[in-house]
Amino acid sequence: MLDPIASRLENYMDLLAARQKLVASNVANIDTPGYRTRDIDFQFEYMSHVDGTGLDVIEPDGLTVKNDGNNVSLDRESRLMAENALRFSMASTLLRGEIQTMKRAIDEGKSS
Amino acid sequence: MSLFGALSVSASGLAAQRDRATAIAENLANSETTRTPEGGPYRRKDVIFEPESQVSPFSAVFQAEFGPQAAGVGVAEVVEETRPPIMKYDPGHPDANPQGYVALPNINPAEEMVDLMGASRGYQANAAAMSAVKDMVSKSIDLMRL
Repeated sequence: MLDPIASRLENYMDLLAARQKLVASNVANIDTPGYRTRDIDFQFEYMSHVDGTGLDVIEPDGLTVKNDGNNVSLDRESRLMAENALRFSMASTLLRGEIQTMKRAIDEGKSS
Repeated sequence: MSLFGALSVSASGLAAQRDRATAIAENLANSETTRTPEGGPYRRKDVIFEPESQVSPFSAVFQAEFGPQAAGVGVAEVVEETRPPIMKYDPGHPDANPQGYVALPNINPAEEMVDLMGASRGYQANAAAMSAVKDMVSKSIDLMRL
């Protein structure tokens, strides 16, 4: 990619996308008997996986299990959903800046 | 781009909650139905959900390429309530038995309304998840417009 910062941002956005997908899956299964909340250890994955593949899906504990064995908390998922969207928006703004810098350099080179 | 997978997961959630709402509407509409093709009064229906992987030939390639497998949701089965019907004394009713009792479906409107609220909230949550993902996708698309 462009430079190390841009590729880290890309990795960050890939991880956010993967997490958002798990959140969507948790929300979809909010009434499925026996379903357990699934998530990724974001910080760990970000530090250890540079390419964004082979993520470890974990089942977070500390959530209240309902009578039907389901432990999806809508509050938790809503919070994560909003947080992911904001983080993603921030990362995309930063990445946009990186690309703009590159484009400016190219444009300046053109106009002689 | 695994974000599109998240969209189909939310879509499966919307479909499942809508099926549930349909079953509840059917129960409410048939709360006084005494004749069914199978004979006897109407029996209350309930949908059971199960996790379901969203596999289309197109997305399977992407999913294999990147990211954890996210499960959507699907209707596993529609079960019929086994509670005995309510016997109401109404000798004038054409479906009354020789003792003058009519078998009516054992449907509690309050229970159905609470279930309906649950289905509606579930639908809303899935729609919100979908719009959050859509926002992320459009942010990514914006990166191409400089």
